Amino acid sequence: MDEKAEQQLTELLAADLDGGFTELVRVHGRSVYTFLLRVSGSRTEADDLGQDAFLRAYTALQGYDPERRRELKPRAWLLTIAANVWRNHVRTCTRRPALTGVPVEEAAGSWTDHRPGPEERAALSDDRRRLVSALLKLPEHQRMAVVLRHVMGMSYAEVAEVQGCPVGTAKAQVSRGLRSLRQLLDPEVPVLEEVTT
Amino acid sequence: MRQSDHEVPTRLERAAGDLIGLAADPPEDFALRVLRRVGIQREQYDTYVRLETPAGGLFVAAGPDAVTGAALDSAGLTATAFEERHRVRTHRSAIPATKPFPGVVTALRTGRARRLPIDLSGLTTAERAVLEAVRTIPPGQLRPVGWIAREAEVPATAVVGALARNPVAVLIPSHRVTHDGGAPCDADLVPGAGDALRAAEGVDLDREVELRRGGVVFLGSDTTRIYCHPTCAHARRIVPRHQVPFRTAREAGRAGYRACKSCRPVTV
Repeated sequence: MDEKAEQQLTELLAADLDGGFTELVRVHGRSVYTFLLRVSGSRTEADDLGQDAFLRAYTALQGYDPERRRELKPRAWLLTIAANVWRNHVRTCTRRPALTGVPVEEAAGSWTDHRPGPEERAALSDDRRRLVSALLKLPEHQRMAVVLRHVMGMSYAEVAEVQGCPVGTAKAQVSRGLRSLRQLLDPEVPVLEEVTT
Repeated sequence: MRQSDHEVPTRLERAAGDLIGLAADPPEDFALRVLRRVGIQREQYDTYVRLETPAGGLFVAAGPDAVTGAALDSAGLTATAFEERHRVRTHRSAIPATKPFPGVVTALRTGRARRLPIDLSGLTTAERAVLEAVRTIPPGQLRPVGWIAREAEVPATAVVGALARNPVAVLIPSHRVTHDGGAPCDADLVPGAGDALRAAEGVDLDREVELRRGGVVFLGSDTTRIYCHPTCAHARRIVPRHQVPFRTAREAGRAGYRACKSCRPVTV
């Protein structure tokens, strides 16, 4: 999405909340869904959480004055909300009795049915399936960073904004994420550390 | 392991490249459910579906009360491109839906879209008059530009321009309009789409070409002494031995024929 379209969208949001929000859903619905799908690994969950994220976005927009809506960077802002919704969801799920006894870090990585459903399995080629399942084995923050950077094609600045961390940290997360991803895909080939001296 | 020394960056890049392919489309009604759940008024947005026609897929967008736009995807139009164009033209968001506007499917199947509510508010009065006139052409029949001009009460020069700006392809059947010589206009359609639509409605394309080559614009019957447009339902049932071809309405008038009251040829 280019800058001009982005600006038109924020102008519209400032002028007409309902119309602007409709346009926001139309333009960015796919991004939010893709992010949640690749982070959670489940279509039903991506759908539910996507609905929640947009509901929260709308509620938040109602409280903003027009000036603040004009200043918004819609995609990064929406994905920040989606990321928060996802984190909350993971946290809520870890509290469920079925999972008592499992440490939080592990539960975060193993909560949902991470295997792609039948629909997705049919659609995915073998390589793609391996990639999807490898992605789901990454630690939470690395997975989010990799999805934002390489699946959605966002800039590091935007990734950092969504993750709420400095740009350097975001870069490190992406790079570490990619490296572990590669190791998961090809366990035989050792990952060579870069020699900097 | 000298080999892998070279492979490391490329493989890493390949993994990153594959990741782009993981972008996924949400369920078709995802956006619509969001809007319903949030409680946005239905009047705020249009919904659209993709339907099959003889000329390829057709995106049909509709508000709560009327169809607001339609475009064939045969020119390589994607759903996103359709949404953007709809936005630019109508200033309304088109949201994907699963259910088409009531009556659209029937209209496409039968070719009878005359009673379908269509919103043409973005156009000038003249353009609207032309498109309303086009809507009255029955399926399987063709009318020349001069006929449209008379029905719409606009100059003939304005007709083709208005057709090219037809915002509701197929449902406003501009493929049923021909130049006065008999060649199809197809001002708003990609090549081939018009022929596909006409053939599906039962227009005999070979016969049309043959009549046009002979300069025949009207067909009369020597039993009733009435002349019609050649695709008029009454003209099509004249058996060959009673068919009398005419090049102009004047020629038919001089031979003592009157114009058909169904297809109302231009008599001047």
